[in-house]
Amino acid sequence: MSIDSIIENAINSHSLAVSLAGLIAYGIVIAILIFAFSYFFGWFERKLIAKSQYRHGPTYVGKYGILQNFADLVKLLAKEIIIPENANKVLISLAPVVLVALNVFIIFLIPFSPALQASNLGLGLLLIFVVLGFTPIILFIIGFASGNKFSDISAQRSVLMLISYELPMIIVVATLALFTGSYSINGIIAAQARLPFAILMPIGFFVFFVAMLAELERPPFDTREADSELIAGWLTDLSAPYYALALLLDYTRMLLGGLLISILFLGGWDGPFLPAPLWLLIKAFLVAVFITIIRITTMRMRVDKILKFGWIWLMPLALLNMVITFFLFL
Amino acid sequence: MAITKINVGPIHPSTHGVLRLVVHLDGDTIVKVEPHIGFLHRGVEKLVETRMYMQSHPYMEKIDYMAPMSVDELYVATVEKAMGIEVNERAQYVRVVLLELQRIASHLFWVGSICNDLGQLFTTFMWGFRDRDMALRLLEVATGQRMFYVNMRLGGLARDIPEGFAEEVIEFLDYLEKRLKDYEKFIEKNPIFIQRMKGIGRLSRSEALDLGVTGQVLRTSGVSYDVRKNNPYYVYEKLNFNPVVLTGGDNLARYKARVLEIKESIRLIRNALGNMPEGSALGMPVKLVSPPLKNRMVTVSRENPRGEEMMYMVGDPQKPYRLSIRAPTFINLSALDYMARENRFADLFSIMGTLDLVMADVDR
Repeated sequence: MSIDSIIENAINSHSLAVSLAGLIAYGIVIAILIFAFSYFFGWFERKLIAKSQYRHGPTYVGKYGILQNFADLVKLLAKEIIIPENANKVLISLAPVVLVALNVFIIFLIPFSPALQASNLGLGLLLIFVVLGFTPIILFIIGFASGNKFSDISAQRSVLMLISYELPMIIVVATLALFTGSYSINGIIAAQARLPFAILMPIGFFVFFVAMLAELERPPFDTREADSELIAGWLTDLSAPYYALALLLDYTRMLLGGLLISILFLGGWDGPFLPAPLWLLIKAFLVAVFITIIRITTMRMRVDKILKFGWIWLMPLALLNMVITFFLFL
Repeated sequence: MAITKINVGPIHPSTHGVLRLVVHLDGDTIVKVEPHIGFLHRGVEKLVETRMYMQSHPYMEKIDYMAPMSVDELYVATVEKAMGIEVNERAQYVRVVLLELQRIASHLFWVGSICNDLGQLFTTFMWGFRDRDMALRLLEVATGQRMFYVNMRLGGLARDIPEGFAEEVIEFLDYLEKRLKDYEKFIEKNPIFIQRMKGIGRLSRSEALDLGVTGQVLRTSGVSYDVRKNNPYYVYEKLNFNPVVLTGGDNLARYKARVLEIKESIRLIRNALGNMPEGSALGMPVKLVSPPLKNRMVTVSRENPRGEEMMYMVGDPQKPYRLSIRAPTFINLSALDYMARENRFADLFSIMGTLDLVMADVDR
């Protein structure tokens, strides 16, 4: 009996205690997955970026520098926590933790295979995007709680970003839900058994992918963090341990973005030969690599141009996608 | 709406050194930028007064650390003019080749760093660094040092260029021409780059003339002024080149001007290597007692990679009585306020980037 079937049986058990134990076990598996992905993808990204820039990347700690991130983590965690005088002490120390928790929670909600999932929620898609919508708001809170003008600007940009990409993203997701007739992720993946939605509705895929880049704060939409303008945006006043948390958050969100794009548009866990969770992870990894390649090549867009781009391009495209989908397929 | 004041620097990722800016913002729009300088002031002009002529020569290179040879050469040329020393013809050609290599190195660094200011993740930066290092390696072959050469001597050079140097340079130039096409594909085809650069940080022709800016900042505002052409020195008259003059006065024009200048420098070097006469390029060895002065007051100006650098020297028999340096970046920095007004806060850093500031040169 494999681990996933044990967990599945436990979660679906009629006894509350066994069911809870199963959920906790699943949570531990997810936590390990997130740490492992963050760690290895962090290393891989550094190597990939280094290769594109004729550098070697980390080489010193461990074979091929594989332990470099661990060394960095130890260094960051060993440092003192300094909270600026102007900062709101409660918010600035609580918000990063909440932020990571929310993102981990979303990954917890995502099913990894027909068997390996916390629960087959009928409204899973809705819940995921509701929780996802909190992220920019919490970034906004951290920005204002820092009591620093650079973080303030970052917070303002966060709101501007929110109104520019969130709506087209939700429209695309709504189109998917209406098309498949279900809010459950299992239903959406089942509907892609013949043809993934990326091919069926390429416009929707494009809009969702671009909106996801903005959601994940990846270039060209990393205006909130904007290191060459705002020092580090909302991260400016976060001390080293919180910064480590923010780095973990970065890769957690990368995994989250990869998972969401693969589930909604690339056919989820469908694939030959390999087990289902592995397929999903491979797809998520490839999406993350693609996002990294975009990161290597582009410059940063200005926030007012992003707003314009969102309303002039993304919004009509999302609506067009909706119209095309309904006229062609329904 | 209330005006917000933001303090940028002196410690900030993209101030290119230690520059402090007090930015007045109305929402996201810049109302005023006040540069505060002097964090890197070392009193070069005063120090020179306490040293013999050729003693302060290595110190000059640290004024502009992105193009050390250009300032070094300017100082030596000032002393040469004061003492009435003629530079032999081969040395003139060699100096032109080395100076243009230095200009290429400086501009390559700039092309990389502007993309960094626009928020790219160090990719073009590392590419520019890599190609710049090839130019620096050639300078090392010619002078024995990678960055601070101290290669100029009165009337010539400390070392003549070695055997086979011309072939190596031409090989590098061929490589660089191919590489520039890559840059064009990678940078200029990027719509975000064009969006962030076009029409940003405009400086009109009259403003540019009033402010006294020089270099690419002046030439992209439509004024044809290049010291190499307007007030030629060495063999620039005999060589075939056109100063890059563009109109528009925005960030994109300043970017294009620098890329085109790299191409002009490539042409110049090829030309100079082809016409170089045989003979010796060596100058006088360094001695503490220098030759007698012919002119007490001299002014020499040169086209530095960043603009017109000028030195005014009043001489005493063994050491300068007074040396005054007109730093191009110091005067170009004064245009920042005019260029940045009405622009967005996010664009301040790319506008500042196109000025190509070297804070050591600004503060001296």
